[in-house]
Amino acid sequence: MEFLLEVNTEELPSSHLKIALEEMREGFEHELGSANIAVSELRVLGTCRRLIVTGDFAPEQPDREEIITGPPKAAAFAEDGSPTQAALGFAKAQGVDVSNLEVIKTSRGEYIGLKKIEKGKETSKILARVIPQIISSFSFPKMMRWGEGTFKFSRPIRNILCLFGGETLSFSVEGITSKDWTIGHKIHSPQPVNIKSFKEYKEALKERKVIVEPEERKRIILSQAELRLAPLKAQLHPDPELLERLASDVEFPHVFLGSFPEAFLSLPLEVLSTALREGQKLFSVVKGKKQLPNFLGVADNPGDPRSFIQKGNERVLKARLEDARFFWATDLKVSLKQKASGLKQVLFQEKLGSYEDKSQRLKKIATYLCEKVDAKKICQQLIQAAELCKADLLTEMVREFPSLQGKIGGLYAKEEGQPALVAQAIYEHYQPLSLEDESPSTLGGALLSLADKLDSFVGVVGIGFQTTGSSDPFGLRRNAQGVCKIILDKKLSLSFLRLLDKVILIYGEKFKKPKEEILAYCQEFFIGRLQYIFEKQGYRYDLINAALGAGVDNIYHSYLRLKALDGLKSSPQFEPLILIAKRVNNIISGQPASTINPSLFQEKEERELYSTFAIINKNIRPLIVKGDFSQAQKIIFRIQSTLNNFFDHILVMAKETRLRKNRLALLQAISKILIQIADYSQIVVEGEKAAKTKD
Amino acid sequence: MSIQNLIMSLQKYWADQGCYLAQSYDLEVGAGTMTPDTFFRVLDKRPWKVAYVQSSRRPRDGRYGENPHRVQKHFQFQVIIKPSPSDIQRLFIESLVALGIWLQDHDLRFDEDDWEAPTIGAWGVGWQVMLDGLEITQFTYFQQAGGLEVFPVPVEITYGLERLEMFLEEKDNIYDLQWSEDVSYRDLRFRDEREFSEYNFNQANIKSLQESFALAEKEASQLIEKNLLLPAYDMCLKCSHLFNLLDARGAVSVTERVKIIAQIRALVNEIAQKYQSSEAST
Repeated sequence: MEFLLEVNTEELPSSHLKIALEEMREGFEHELGSANIAVSELRVLGTCRRLIVTGDFAPEQPDREEIITGPPKAAAFAEDGSPTQAALGFAKAQGVDVSNLEVIKTSRGEYIGLKKIEKGKETSKILARVIPQIISSFSFPKMMRWGEGTFKFSRPIRNILCLFGGETLSFSVEGITSKDWTIGHKIHSPQPVNIKSFKEYKEALKERKVIVEPEERKRIILSQAELRLAPLKAQLHPDPELLERLASDVEFPHVFLGSFPEAFLSLPLEVLSTALREGQKLFSVVKGKKQLPNFLGVADNPGDPRSFIQKGNERVLKARLEDARFFWATDLKVSLKQKASGLKQVLFQEKLGSYEDKSQRLKKIATYLCEKVDAKKICQQLIQAAELCKADLLTEMVREFPSLQGKIGGLYAKEEGQPALVAQAIYEHYQPLSLEDESPSTLGGALLSLADKLDSFVGVVGIGFQTTGSSDPFGLRRNAQGVCKIILDKKLSLSFLRLLDKVILIYGEKFKKPKEEILAYCQEFFIGRLQYIFEKQGYRYDLINAALGAGVDNIYHSYLRLKALDGLKSSPQFEPLILIAKRVNNIISGQPASTINPSLFQEKEERELYSTFAIINKNIRPLIVKGDFSQAQKIIFRIQSTLNNFFDHILVMAKETRLRKNRLALLQAISKILIQIADYSQIVVEGEKAAKTKD
Repeated sequence: MSIQNLIMSLQKYWADQGCYLAQSYDLEVGAGTMTPDTFFRVLDKRPWKVAYVQSSRRPRDGRYGENPHRVQKHFQFQVIIKPSPSDIQRLFIESLVALGIWLQDHDLRFDEDDWEAPTIGAWGVGWQVMLDGLEITQFTYFQQAGGLEVFPVPVEITYGLERLEMFLEEKDNIYDLQWSEDVSYRDLRFRDEREFSEYNFNQANIKSLQESFALAEKEASQLIEKNLLLPAYDMCLKCSHLFNLLDARGAVSVTERVKIIAQIRALVNEIAQKYQSSEAST
């Protein structure tokens, strides 16, 4: 039967809408699943004013058969076939006649017993109970109360429509009783309209200026945008985030084209598009790479026949751009260097000091990085960039448009004639803002961003802040992921532990925690982030653990290890090698370390293994240093047959201590090479999986 | 429609909804929220409906009368209704219709914007209301004031009168607005803006501002001890405005800024607690 729920609210923030729809889906899947109600096509969709769930649900739970076993068949009937006291007693206890009992076959033999059928409950009854629970359990980043209630939600709930099989499904949430009607667009059609089905719902709402399908709203925005831009032969400056947001913020999109005075084109593109996007959520319009004095806006209205909406937006935009031009001119009157001298006054973090302190640290970290990644050529300019990169915090532009920080500093640096490398490093030093964002395009930008993020990360850890649950108030996760992304994207090969150590050293007396504790926390945190990043990239979790298990000191190398494992995972030599590596580990586990004495090898197989080991060991070292784990892994494959031979013919645990110790020493040495490629013990192979499921 | 007609329309509309029409508070405040008609009345449990015009001073926003939009003093039309009615959004939309705005031809949007006033320990959840891209109103469900949870929940609707008037008159420059049929905003406010901008940014005496701040702060503490909460709160309002002036003069570092805000908030929170417990016992 068709189910339809619409929770009508006041305007939900688009980020909350996304959360609400996810929770809605999870809630329904969970509740219907645990009630064993058959579901087909569960859909969740919405607008800023509506959370909608629809689907086809079975009208009731399936009947449940319960088998109650009684005494064994042998004890239940006398020789003449008449029921014994045991059978009569069981029937009585179950409240049935003995003739209703039947024979039930079990693995332990035949018993008599009873099949009871429990009638499934009506789905509507179950829904009426669980829907209020689902809605009440939503959790938003910020929640509110309204009226005289204590109930908390993202924004006030004002109406609930709920139908099952065309009938109203009755329940109430915090005093709001579900109904069989909804209302249309808040301006164009705020009157109630009765609904019988999802199809009717969609049609009735479309007539009432609400398009309930998010994809359809997005399509309309894009096709109208194209239409408006065709005469200009121009394109929309793509902004998927803004598109997503507008598609949820409006119920009936109308795209309008507007313009601003050409004089404002003297402002940098970054400033223009930020002023457009952040104030009024307007799209920039470009022709090729050139910005045009036009914009596209999305209104929540079927049209704008008298151009009121367009003209109104143009007026507001003009004022905003006038402000931006004023800020641009004002900011340029004072050099970045002079502004940077004011950073003493700007607090970075209470216990970590001012932004001036931070700049000083960045200079040192940047110097260290330049040495380690062979970039001494740019060191001098990078130090200059580190000194100036936070100066834009004191500009009018950043005060008005905080998201321009970094970029605007870079633009001002360029404008006042700083070297291109300096300007670009400043410009890019907040990038990437997320895993989806781009890393800096230049090495200078990458190193400065790395220094900045690491400085913030270590600082916050050093004074004892930690993340809890899903919240990340001090940006630990964001910064750590940024660090990983830059290292991976820029293929930076360096010791991460020594880098952390250096940053801690630079902080000097600021930390109360012992260095080891900070290092340990940082390292564990970064392992967690790398796991997350690699999993997001689609790698198998056991390969990830195997790669990370071999060490994360060189983050880029741990990625190369993973790539090597992933590339070779389907090779026929892969699983046998892992099995034998595990065998090696099992044998040496718990054994004291010993050293190889080649003269003690007696048998052919152990001599062979020793010489194979020696060759592999020699060949593999330079590959590991280079990070060519794929080639290293291939070489390792060669040890497998010799190892097999060894295990087939040699008793490792020989009675004679000298021999035993020597054989163990050989295996320990082999294990030491293996662990530099991967922690094979983490890898799950097919044979083992089967064995495990049998358990 | 002139500004004064706009004010009269809004007053009529909200009076018809049962609001009492208060008069402007007679101290400098940064927003209508800070006056006792809002601040104290949202703290107790009794129903409350009020509407009033409040002049709001933001010294840093002064532009010597040269910027067509920014001024160091503007006018807000403030509405508080407690508890928030279930049809409040509709009532607000109707208030715009009552001003003669034919909303079918415009784009009215409720754009996520959670309001917060750290000096009075207040925050709420709501929107900035945008009309064809122009922010005309702040719409907020109060959650806390004076650091205390508020219950029942009041809704606050703050219309920016100049913004709304610029929309109604389709003007680009604030000084071109008509206050009445023959008095313009320029006539009333231009000289005011020029002189106060000069005062706020260059002439206000930092030393006497700092001394006045210290005096007002001390007096607030003493008044709180004597349970004279409304006078104590007045002292806090004075502190807040003096702080804004010092800020405009560039005499407050970022670190100090945080500290001073925390100082004022601590006093206001104490007043709120005392007020709430005295109201609960009556």
